[in-house]
Amino acid sequence: MQVVLLRVFKGSRAALGVVAVLALGGCGLGNGTGGNPGSTDKAVDTNQRIVVDNFRAPVADWAPESDAAYILSLSGCLETLTKYDHAEGKVVPFLASSWKQVSDLEWDFTLRDDVKFQDGTPLTADAVVASLKHVLEAKVPARAFSKKVVSGVKAVDARTVRVSTPVESPLVPYRLASVNTGVLAPAAYKGTSVDPFGHCTGPFVPVSEKAKQSITLDRNENYWGGKVQLAGAEVRFITNGATRAAQVQTGEADISMSIPVASLPSLEGSRDVTVLKADSPRTATLYLNNKRKPLNDPKVRKALRAALDLEALAASVYEGAALPASGPFAPSEPWAIDGAVPPKQDLDAAKKLLAEAGYTPERPLEVIAIVERAEFADVATVLQDNLKKIGVPVAVQSKEYAAAEPDVMAGKYDMLLSQRNRLIDIADPIGFLTADYSCEGSYNLSHFCDAEYDRLIGEASRAADSKERYKLYARAGKILDEQAVNLWLVNEQATDAVRKEVQGFVQDPLSRYVLTAQTAKSGS
Amino acid sequence: MLKFIARRTATLVAAVLLSSFAVFLIPYVTPGDPVRKIIRSRVAGDVVDESVVQSLGQSLGLQDALFVQYLRWLGSFFSGDMGLSYVSRTPVVEQVMPALGVTVSLVTVALGAAVLASLPLGTAAALRQGRRTDRWITAVTQSFIAMPEYWLAPMLVLLFALKLAVLPSAGWNDASSVVLPAATLALRPASYFTAAVRSGMIDALSAEHVFAARARGLGRTRTVLDHVIPNGLLPLATLLAVWFAGLLGGSVIVEVIFAVPGMGRLLYDAVVNSDIPLAQGGVVVVVALAVGITTLADFVHRLLSPKAGAALV
Repeated sequence: MQVVLLRVFKGSRAALGVVAVLALGGCGLGNGTGGNPGSTDKAVDTNQRIVVDNFRAPVADWAPESDAAYILSLSGCLETLTKYDHAEGKVVPFLASSWKQVSDLEWDFTLRDDVKFQDGTPLTADAVVASLKHVLEAKVPARAFSKKVVSGVKAVDARTVRVSTPVESPLVPYRLASVNTGVLAPAAYKGTSVDPFGHCTGPFVPVSEKAKQSITLDRNENYWGGKVQLAGAEVRFITNGATRAAQVQTGEADISMSIPVASLPSLEGSRDVTVLKADSPRTATLYLNNKRKPLNDPKVRKALRAALDLEALAASVYEGAALPASGPFAPSEPWAIDGAVPPKQDLDAAKKLLAEAGYTPERPLEVIAIVERAEFADVATVLQDNLKKIGVPVAVQSKEYAAAEPDVMAGKYDMLLSQRNRLIDIADPIGFLTADYSCEGSYNLSHFCDAEYDRLIGEASRAADSKERYKLYARAGKILDEQAVNLWLVNEQATDAVRKEVQGFVQDPLSRYVLTAQTAKSGS
Repeated sequence: MLKFIARRTATLVAAVLLSSFAVFLIPYVTPGDPVRKIIRSRVAGDVVDESVVQSLGQSLGLQDALFVQYLRWLGSFFSGDMGLSYVSRTPVVEQVMPALGVTVSLVTVALGAAVLASLPLGTAAALRQGRRTDRWITAVTQSFIAMPEYWLAPMLVLLFALKLAVLPSAGWNDASSVVLPAATLALRPASYFTAAVRSGMIDALSAEHVFAARARGLGRTRTVLDHVIPNGLLPLATLLAVWFAGLLGGSVIVEVIFAVPGMGRLLYDAVVNSDIPLAQGGVVVVVALAVGITTLADFVHRLLSPKAGAALV
């Protein structure tokens, strides 16, 4: 017991990885969103309140264009016109009952007619327009809804909101699912500040805040979406992962978001807690500078890929809480490459590829491991060891991302160990695939450029049908994989812990939706 | 006396100016563009729009020369305005003061507990100098020094929150939530305080006026209470002030582990996010308070100590 709990706080230790792997043996890794399978079958008590430990604190005074919107959304306060249904893999109605593209550059969203803000005022097109304009005109706008991608918002009539774009885009409904486009009543906007308290539309009304600590919410008795099953909630801002894990274990919290790997064994051994896992849109990646020798040769890049033992990496450093990556996408994503499997270590093939490329170890290749992710130092050591076996010397350098960024962007680096959230802007990877891999991409760390890839992404950006678009993404992803543009190491898992008394909780890998009208708790 | 106050006021002003300038320089001497750091603190993610970088840098005046920016801040500070946080765009004072209140409460409880523990322990060790009690007290309290907070805090959570379930594991809600963070902070100063009390008492016990008091027929207990303890506690006053000043901004580990919304966490976040006005405001308040407390401790020390008292005149 003591060993396990020590691990909760001391961070990951590869030497103790075996314990974690054994602990995980009895717990299958889910591939998508899921409910709380361990919840009790006791009757729901609608007088219960719930405590959620969240991993981030609001930094921007509840400005909806900032990451504070995630907190308001997961708290069941802020709602958007549309919503991304992770299980279905598509955008579904939320505050808007329907939408349609009325011209190449314009989309109309029809609002539900039964929604009132928590302050009693009705949800009208004018209110939605004012709310969206606030986000659009912010000094630091949200990437999902900035003037780069949205040119204007106006009310067509009392129930219709028109959103215009600078170029034709089928992804406007996805943009309106971003939490940053959450709608607040006009009374929430006072000069430059925003006060969401009592001005949302969601099932929970924020009633008080302890700065930097928590917000308290009460049930919205007049919620448009049906009866709310909890009397209220407290959402705490606990930035330390071990503390979140301890609180759900002691029962101080009912739900703890984003549990660190080191805390998993103790939680998975608890009878009162269920650990939920889902593929997150994050893949730990070894970025390769495709413009610099020797990594400008695809054969060298493929040789490096063949030298890596991803299974051992996932089992040791990640202690089984991440899965070996099969390419640029997680296998459960709707745009995953058909039949993709994680590459197996094949040292002979790697050596052969290096010989074909005429590689000679003139200098050690440098891997920059960003310090913001503590585990990357261990990952870099494992990679260094793997590559040494095929005669590729590697020097590891730990740097803050901000310190590495100028050289990486300028192409003055060999390899960078980092990770990106593919769905950070909207619930579609178009922004990521464009910025990171197109020839003119604004965040093309690999300095990769391929005309066919750009053509596919361009076509996808105009494809209204999501299935067709996803196929194009998969084809583009295949190009990246075939050319070994980067080495995708492990797919990270979104891991939340839930007490058995909690019912109706559906895990969202992006942590946007936690408290809903259906979230409930049984009596003690 | 006037000289002493004037000298200490000058020290205070110099410390505030120096520390605020040092904090002001942090975002510029550490790697990375401060404007990008501010943007990333508001909107997570790596991709940053260059036009937003330009316009935000301009609107915050970050493209002006460094000395212009610093003088601008200094001007508004001396007119009573600490400015707005770059990240939250709310007044710095509204963030600093509540955080300071939390940390002052936490540190006061922690050091109060440390003093309460060290007084009997230090006194007992001094009165039984060289004997088993002294050796045990010294060994145990010295071992506290080797316990880092990042290890001790989880151990206390393990025992009192998870195992015994008698105290909350984190948060800042009621008196019970103060116990574990205060205990974590208290242990190390308690060991230093015990050593200081012990050595102060030993010195006092061998002082001539103590022998004289005993020779005059004063009882042992009376002698200790009237002559040994007051003099033996003098080093503790100075040490207490130094620890108080140090912990005001130096309790970041404890504040993060126990989710305490204090100054350590505030300053750490401000520096990481390049929130210069918030970092400057926080540091200036902490430095001013620290200098004020150590000055007060010096004053008390000089007042009580016959030798040092002369220097006040």
